[in-house]
Amino acid sequence: MNGERVRVFGVRHLSPAGAYHLRAYLDKVKPTAVLVEGPSDANAFIGQLTAHGVKPPVALLAYTDRLPVRTLLFPLAAYSPEYQAFVWANKRGALCEFIDLPTDRALALLELRESGGEDDAAEEAGEKRRTYAGWQHSLYERIAELADEPDYEAYWERHYEHAGSQEAYRQAIHAFSGSMRELTEAEERAFVPQEIAYNGLREAYMRRRIRETLAAGHEPDRIVVVTGAHHASALDLSLPAMTDAEFGKLPSVSTSLTLMPYTYYKLSSHSGYGAGNQAPAYYQLFWECLNAGKPERLPTIYMTRLATLLRESGTYRSTASVIEAVRMAEALASLKGGSRPTWKDLRDAAVVCLGNGDYAVVAEALARIDVGTAIGKLPEGVSQTPIQNDLNRELKRLKLEKYKTAVAQDLELDLRENRRVKSEDAAYLDLNRSVLLHRLAVLGIGFARKQAVRQESASWAERWVLQWSPEAEIQTVESTLKGETIQIAAAYVIHERLQQCENLAEAAKLIRVSCECRLVEAMTEATRTLQELAVEAGSFEQIAGAASELSALVRYGSIRRLETEALVPLLKQLFLRGALLLVDAANCNDDAARGMAAAIQQMHAIAQEHHEEVDEALWRAKLRELAMRDDRNAKLSGFAFAILLERDEVSADECSQEVSRRLSPGVPADLGAGWFEGLSMRNRYALLSRAALWEQLDLYVQSLEDEPFYRSLVFLRRAFAEFEPRERASVTELLGDLWGAGAEQTSEELLQPLGEEEKKKLDELNEFDFGDL
Amino acid sequence: MDQATNVLRLSSERLYARELEALAAVDQGAKPPGWRLSPRAALTFITGGEAGGVPIRPKYIGNKRLVEMAIATLLTDRALLLIGEPGTAKSWLSENLTAAIHGDSSKVIQGTAGTSEEHIRYSWNYALLLAQGPSDQALIKSPIYRAMEEGGIARFEEISRCASEVQDALISILSEKTISIPELGRELSAAKGFSVIATANTRDRGVNEMSAALKRRFNIIVLPAPASIDTEVDIVNRRVAEIASSYELQAALPDEEAVRKVVTIFRELRGGATLDNKEKVKPPSGVISTAEAISLLTGSMALAASFGTGEIADEDIAACLQGAIVKDEEKDRLVWKEYLDNVMKKRGSEWRSLYNACKELNG
Ligand SMILES: Nc1ncnc2c1ncn2[C@@H]1O[C@H](COP(=O)(O)OP(=O)(O)OP(=O)(O)O)[C@@H](O)[C@H]1O
Ligand SMILES: [Mg+2]
Repeated sequence: MNGERVRVFGVRHLSPAGAYHLRAYLDKVKPTAVLVEGPSDANAFIGQLTAHGVKPPVALLAYTDRLPVRTLLFPLAAYSPEYQAFVWANKRGALCEFIDLPTDRALALLELRESGGEDDAAEEAGEKRRTYAGWQHSLYERIAELADEPDYEAYWERHYEHAGSQEAYRQAIHAFSGSMRELTEAEERAFVPQEIAYNGLREAYMRRRIRETLAAGHEPDRIVVVTGAHHASALDLSLPAMTDAEFGKLPSVSTSLTLMPYTYYKLSSHSGYGAGNQAPAYYQLFWECLNAGKPERLPTIYMTRLATLLRESGTYRSTASVIEAVRMAEALASLKGGSRPTWKDLRDAAVVCLGNGDYAVVAEALARIDVGTAIGKLPEGVSQTPIQNDLNRELKRLKLEKYKTAVAQDLELDLRENRRVKSEDAAYLDLNRSVLLHRLAVLGIGFARKQAVRQESASWAERWVLQWSPEAEIQTVESTLKGETIQIAAAYVIHERLQQCENLAEAAKLIRVSCECRLVEAMTEATRTLQELAVEAGSFEQIAGAASELSALVRYGSIRRLETEALVPLLKQLFLRGALLLVDAANCNDDAARGMAAAIQQMHAIAQEHHEEVDEALWRAKLRELAMRDDRNAKLSGFAFAILLERDEVSADECSQEVSRRLSPGVPADLGAGWFEGLSMRNRYALLSRAALWEQLDLYVQSLEDEPFYRSLVFLRRAFAEFEPRERASVTELLGDLWGAGAEQTSEELLQPLGEEEKKKLDELNEFDFGDL
Repeated sequence: MDQATNVLRLSSERLYARELEALAAVDQGAKPPGWRLSPRAALTFITGGEAGGVPIRPKYIGNKRLVEMAIATLLTDRALLLIGEPGTAKSWLSENLTAAIHGDSSKVIQGTAGTSEEHIRYSWNYALLLAQGPSDQALIKSPIYRAMEEGGIARFEEISRCASEVQDALISILSEKTISIPELGRELSAAKGFSVIATANTRDRGVNEMSAALKRRFNIIVLPAPASIDTEVDIVNRRVAEIASSYELQAALPDEEAVRKVVTIFRELRGGATLDNKEKVKPPSGVISTAEAISLLTGSMALAASFGTGEIADEDIAACLQGAIVKDEEKDRLVWKEYLDNVMKKRGSEWRSLYNACKELNG
């Protein structure tokens, strides 16, 4: 059995010339079996990949059936030699199979390699891997230098992609990969032994599969093996093949497979995929020109398209410049003894002739023409996971298909009923879209990002940015494990999160999320969770936050066509607890006071919005208590007092009494000025109309000694920083009257920007730590 | 201090005659019409290498690809415009390219506000013109005219400083490749191989004001300032050694340490910050490019040879630094003083003696 020679055709995985020459080779040899490096359990997909309507780039995706999901990806472009092998075999009715390890073994081995034992050992292995990568990189650079090319890509293109004949290509790449393998073997063994071991297993398995094909009756010289050139020399059948026993010992995990559309962007190494190439759109064009038998036209088409893109973005370039650019690229190639320009030659010529020497001028157009925004297509009926199918159905139903592109697009939604249309589906189209997009967000499928909208329309308008990417597709596939449809999977995720939910704010948020996703059961479950947590909750801020979420749902639920009345009792209960906790919670330091003030604000908004449902009287009483207490945070007392003032709950007498009490000489600066800061956080108009208050403040500040005076400055500055310019002008006028200096002069002086000296002084004060007082 | 470098200034084709001969002797490549060397041999002349046992010194040090792009431009019959900051070897590259390709780098037009159309076409010997009327003898050919006749390269320095009529005249020459001489009732058509290499400085406003039509006649290549201090030290070392040997300066070459110090000072003053980017530095009014660093060091060598021991002393460097940096008296003196006190003084013992020498001079 030894020594039988099948025909091995080594390739680079993304290589137009490889694809082209391979096809010519197949035409010549007319094999009965074409064996391709790829997972053996994916054979069923080969036919589908070449089905009518499939448009590369596409990818074969393998994923583990359990969490955390691990994936293996095999991207294919039209110019992948493997892809052309499928097309050829399909047309000629030849057997076409994958011969690499099946994904259940490959993923298990991968997992093993990555988890790699102890932490220290793993770290060391990582370090070694990086050293090896660095060494390998410098090797490639050295090759480029020896070949007198600006970089390795250019070397590769000139020597292999431009190879004139099928035989020349095959032999050149064979020789190169063989010597590279020899050259790197020792280093590989020393630094990345796992890599060698893994490749060894794969190659032994591939030999096994080749033997099986021979055993099935194919003549050796009618078998063509298409593999990465690196493996070509190892597919020699005199080397041992993997035995049943050996195969049985390999670890395995359960996996599934699916197909997905892919993008050029993702293929390009811009986004870091190892086997990617930098300019997929350029290579696609290369492939098309080769196919048309006119590779020499590539430079002209490239430059013309570039000039068109430039023109579209407002930079006019003449046909003459295009011609000059092509000529220059050709001259660059001739300097290297090349027959045609490489991508690098084209780019450099473009910078000079179309960018007038300035790369920035052409950078964007180059990115578009080299990488491009194209995405692949899989027609309906081609194998996908149920959830991919469901998503595609939903996108179609909701007329969102046109957003499934690699280019980001805005989508504005109006959730209100559209009364001008007949069918219910049409009337609520935007609402239904919103539901789907929220569900995708819950699933972590990065297809749509929600944007902020203006306050006035916040209850019924939504803005989204939609952009499809291979990651989004992979995330969709991963969601298969959570449910067969988007709806079921989203409900599952919320359920999981509720199981782990330990605080009120999170629970309230999940109610809202369920509502946005229109998952009624999840909403009920979340409400129950919130109820349970509320019993023990002791944080005023969390309670206020949760109550505020509920309040919004009660008010706007109807827009989402959801019954939210059921939430009212819970809202009442939370509000009550919040009101009772207020005075206690206000016993806090200045840092915490900031969050507390926001929470008081939320509670107060609820009190006004739902005054018929919640115990508003109790809230007012508690606010009054806080306002009058001297042993709570002064700023919060000031804030509570401001609310009362605004609601006309205090008389003029009471007000001046309180002001003089809080701001009387002898009151420490942080208490007095802090109180004023809280007071000024709301409704400054009410303050500005009370001259007595300012008189009192003025007296108070003047009474302070140097040291406390400086401290009070910090509080007052912070307070006034929040004032609008108009309000500040009123303050200065008031003070001007007080000081008898004449309103105008005072305001001029006070509104002047600070001098250098004063600024420095204030900076020092701000940095000073008052916390320990 | 510029004397040594100016008086004996040899053209590139004479300075490197041996290298050019050696390259021509082994040159197998095809020569485009009008070229003395094949493009690859010309490339070797500029970027360095070896020819039949003769070492070829690198002339332009930096990104080799830029030189390839320049040569590719000339291969396509296009005129070449080199632009960049002062002292980035635009003129130097232009001269050497011309020497390699055409063998004569002396057909130069120096662009100024006073350059007239006659300078780029032709003018007349008026005495002869009056005596015998228009004739070939009375015609004074411009460098461009001569380059067109010979199928060679004319150089145009500081092209952006010329008035716009002059730029317009050049446009018609570059697009039609002819000069008409109505007085003689004939026309000169350029022989194959004719081209123009122009240079322009981005410090001059002019580059941006150059007409779009003229820019379109050129392939524009930007020469960058040396990216790293190591490259710049390398450039300075090599050029100083070469200049010293061709002018037979009777002094030892500056040691690596001294070169590195000068380049450090220059890079910091040019970049407006110390190399570690921790401190800001005020730049002086004048240009302080790599070119200035080179002439500063050759100047120091001349000083050391004439008035010193033949070894460059810190005092020699200090004197040249003072001259290179302090151009507009008061302001520059202050800039230099600040640099000395805020940066150099704190640099520790290796810099101490240079600091003292500088300090003494600057007062
Ligand atoms: N990258 C470099 N390689 C070799 N020499 C260099 C380099 N950069 C600068 N030089 C040297 O600097 C000196 C001056 O350069 P040159 O006069 O050509 O500058 P330029 O760009 O024309 O300046 P300007 O804009 O002032 O005309 C030359 O002696 C040259 O050798
Ligand atoms: Mg110059």
